[in-house]
Amino acid sequence: MLTLSITDDKNNVKVNLNGDLDIEGTEIVNEELLPKLINFSKVNVSLKEVPFVDSTGMGLLINLVKTLQEKGIVITISDVNKDVLEIFDLLQLPEILGTDVIVS
Amino acid sequence: MQNLISKGKNLEEAIRIGLQLMHVSEAEVDIEIIQHETNGFIGIGKKPAIVKLTLTNHYATNSTSLNEHKLVEAYPNQTNVWEGLIEGLPESLSLREDNLLPISDEGNRNNENVIGKAWIKDNQIYVKDAPDHFSTVSIGPNIQLYKNQQLVKDKSAIISEKDSLHVKFERESISETKWNISIIENGLKAILHVEPGLQTIRNLREVEPNEHIELLVEEKQNVINTLEYQLVLKELENRRIIFNLNHTEIMKAINASTAGDFVIAEGRNAHQGEDGWLEVLVDVQPKNGLVENEDGTIDFRESKLIPTVEKGMVIAIVHPPIPGIPGVTVTNDPLPAKQTHPIKLKTGVGTELIEDKLVATESGRPFIEKRGMLIKASIIPKLLHQDNVSLSSGNIRFNGDVEITGEVEDYMTVEADGDIYVHKSASYSNLTTMKSIIVKGNVTNCSLDAGKNNMLIMELGHLIGIMHQQLEKMIILIKQLSNSAAFKTTDFSVTGLQPLIRILLEKKFQDFPNHAKKYMEVVENGQDYLEDEDWTHIAVSLRTVFLTLTNQVTTVHKLTSLAEKMEKLSTFSKLPVEPNSYITISDSVNSRLYSSGDINIIGKGCINTKVHAGGKLFVGGIVRGGEVYGRLGVSIEEAGSANGTKTVIATPHDQQIQIRKAHEGTVLKIGNARHVLKEDRDWITAKLNNEGYIIY
Repeated sequence: MLTLSITDDKNNVKVNLNGDLDIEGTEIVNEELLPKLINFSKVNVSLKEVPFVDSTGMGLLINLVKTLQEKGIVITISDVNKDVLEIFDLLQLPEILGTDVIVS
Repeated sequence: MQNLISKGKNLEEAIRIGLQLMHVSEAEVDIEIIQHETNGFIGIGKKPAIVKLTLTNHYATNSTSLNEHKLVEAYPNQTNVWEGLIEGLPESLSLREDNLLPISDEGNRNNENVIGKAWIKDNQIYVKDAPDHFSTVSIGPNIQLYKNQQLVKDKSAIISEKDSLHVKFERESISETKWNISIIENGLKAILHVEPGLQTIRNLREVEPNEHIELLVEEKQNVINTLEYQLVLKELENRRIIFNLNHTEIMKAINASTAGDFVIAEGRNAHQGEDGWLEVLVDVQPKNGLVENEDGTIDFRESKLIPTVEKGMVIAIVHPPIPGIPGVTVTNDPLPAKQTHPIKLKTGVGTELIEDKLVATESGRPFIEKRGMLIKASIIPKLLHQDNVSLSSGNIRFNGDVEITGEVEDYMTVEADGDIYVHKSASYSNLTTMKSIIVKGNVTNCSLDAGKNNMLIMELGHLIGIMHQQLEKMIILIKQLSNSAAFKTTDFSVTGLQPLIRILLEKKFQDFPNHAKKYMEVVENGQDYLEDEDWTHIAVSLRTVFLTLTNQVTTVHKLTSLAEKMEKLSTFSKLPVEPNSYITISDSVNSRLYSSGDINIIGKGCINTKVHAGGKLFVGGIVRGGEVYGRLGVSIEEAGSANGTKTVIATPHDQQIQIRKAHEGTVLKIGNARHVLKEDRDWITAKLNNEGYIIY
C-alpha cells in the first residue's frame, strides 16, 4: 500500500513516496497528493522507498508531472531505485517527462 | 697403402693424422717432411705442415689387405651411436683381418675400377682410396653425415677409407589412420571419411662406385589402414545413425588404401507434393489479330477478339493439392515434406463451383485473376453504350465491362468493375475501374484510375508492413518489461495493457497512431474496392486497441494475433496479380493517370499530366511538364520542353529511365537521387551506380 509524507518549506515541497507505485495508489496520487502540490512552485518527489511499479503507476506519475508542468510548477523526481529506473528507461520515461525531471 | 701424404697444423699433427689414416705405428713408416708449417700473420700466408709417410717394407706386405678397404656402417637413429662405433671399430678391424665379415665382400671389391671411388650399398658408404685422389660425397636433405664423430656442416665432404663415417636419418615414420563420420545434406547422408595411415621406410639410395657420390634417401610407403568394422559400428551407434546402413561401403572404407569419402548411410528424401491449381478450360485472354471471314475476306475492323462463354459451360477444373511424402534421415528422424496448399477460389458474379468444376451461370466474358493462391473468377457482363456519356445519359456505374462508342463529356463519371473502353475522347471526367482502361481519343483534364483495388491493397500493405514491425517490437518490449525485477503486472488483469500501451505510444512508438489513422482513412474511402474483410477487421482492431479509450481488456495474446493477421495481409499485398490492370491511351493533357500495372501512352504524348504506373511506363511521344513515375522502369521518346516547364521523371532505385531525346532542365529521379539535365541529350539510359548517384 502506498503512503506518502510531505515536508514543505515555503515554496519548496518534498514528497516521499513509500510502497509500490501501482494501480492501488491511483486515489492517493490523484486525490490526495496532486491537490496538495498545486500551490507550490517547486516540487521534488523521492521514489527512494518505491521498490515496484506497474504500468498504471507510471501513468499516474506521468499525469502528475504533466499536470504540474502545465501549471508552471517545476517538478523533479529523485532517488529512483536501480530496477525501477531500468523500467523507466525501457519506456523512455525520461524523454516523455523531460530529461531534467528525473534527477539522481 | 704404401705411402700417404698428410697435412696438419704442425709436424706432430700431420704425422699423427697420417699414422691414424694408415693404421700403423711410427716405427713402421719412414717420415719425409715436405713442408714445415708457417703461421703467417693473422691467418694470411698460413701454411700447413705436410709430411709423406712411407711404409717400411717389412710391414708393407702385411698390411696391404688390411688397409685396402675402409668400412663404415650407418647407424641410423641410434643415440649411443658413438659408443657403439668406438667399441665396434677395433673389433671389425680384427675381423676383417680374417676376411670373415660378409660385408667385407663388398668392401673387398678388388676391382681396379673402384679405386679412388666411393659407393653406397645396404645403407653403408664404402670408400676405396687412390693415392692421387680422394672421393667426395654430397649430402642430400634430411641426412646428417658424421665424419670422425664430427657432424659435416657443409653440403659436401671429402671422404677416405680411414675416416669413420656415419650417416644419420630417420629410418621409419608412421602416420595413424584418421577417420570421422559426418552427417550432411540435412541428415540425408552419413559420410565416412578415411585417411589410411602410412608407414614410410627410408633407405640410402644405392650408388655404384663413383668418384663423387650423392647421399640421398629413398622412401617406400606402405598403407596401414587400422580402421575396424566394430569401431565404425560403435560410432554409428553413438551418433544414432541407424537408417539404411550400407555395409558394403563400410567394408570398402575399412579396406581403403587411399583417402576417401564413403556414403555409409543414406536417408530418404521427402517427396515434395504439389499445391492445388486451377485448370482453365476456356480462353480468357483477349487477343489481337486479324481473322479471315468465311468468304475469304478480312475484316480490318474486327481486330480484337474478346473471349466469351455460354451459360452452363465448364470454365475451369479445381485440382486439389497433392500432399508430399515425408522422408527419413539417417538418424531415422522424419524429414517433413513442404506443406501443400489448396487454391482459394472466390466465385464472383456468373460463376458457381459444382464439385470441382467452375461453371458459368451466365453468358459473357470469363475473367480469372490470380494473386498467390487466391483466385477470383467471374463472368463479366458487358455494357455497350452506343452514344456519348453526357448529361442526357447520366453517369455510368456498371458491374462489368463498359464500352463507350462515343465521348465521355465534361464532368461525367464512369465507374466499372471490368474494363472501360472509350472509342473517342474524354474531358473533365473521372474514369475508375478495378481492371483496365483504354481510351482511343484525347484525355483532357481527366482522372483515370485503373486497378483501383490493387493500388489500395498496395498502399494498405505498405502501411500494415510498417505497423506490423512496430507491433512486433511492442510485444517484445512488453514481454521484456514483464520480466523486469521491479515491474508488477497486477494491473494487467484489471485494466489490460491499455495504460502501458498509452505510455508506449507517448514516445517510443509515437508514429504508430499516425499510421493507424492513415490506414483507417484509406480503408474507409476504399471500402467498395476491398473484397477481403480482413482489411476492415484490422482497422477496427487498431481503433479499439490504440486510438480509443475503450474498457475492453487488451491482452498480449490479442496483440500477437493482430500482428499475425497484419503479417498475413502484408505478405499478401506483395504478391503479384495476374493479369494486372493497365491504362492505354492516345494522349493526355492536364490529367491524372493512375494504374496498378503498366501505362502506355501511344499517341503524341502527355502534357502537364501526373502519371503513376505500378508497372512499366511507356510514352511513345513527348512528356512535357508534370510528373511521371514507373515502378518497373520508364521509357520515353521525348522529355522536357524548350521553355523549361518542369518535367519530373521518376522510378525506384533498382529501375532505369530511358529517354530518346531529353531537353535541358528535365528532372530525373531514381530512388532518392535526383538529377537535373544541364543540356539537351539524346539516347539517355539513366540508372543508379553503386554509390547511389545517377549515371547515364
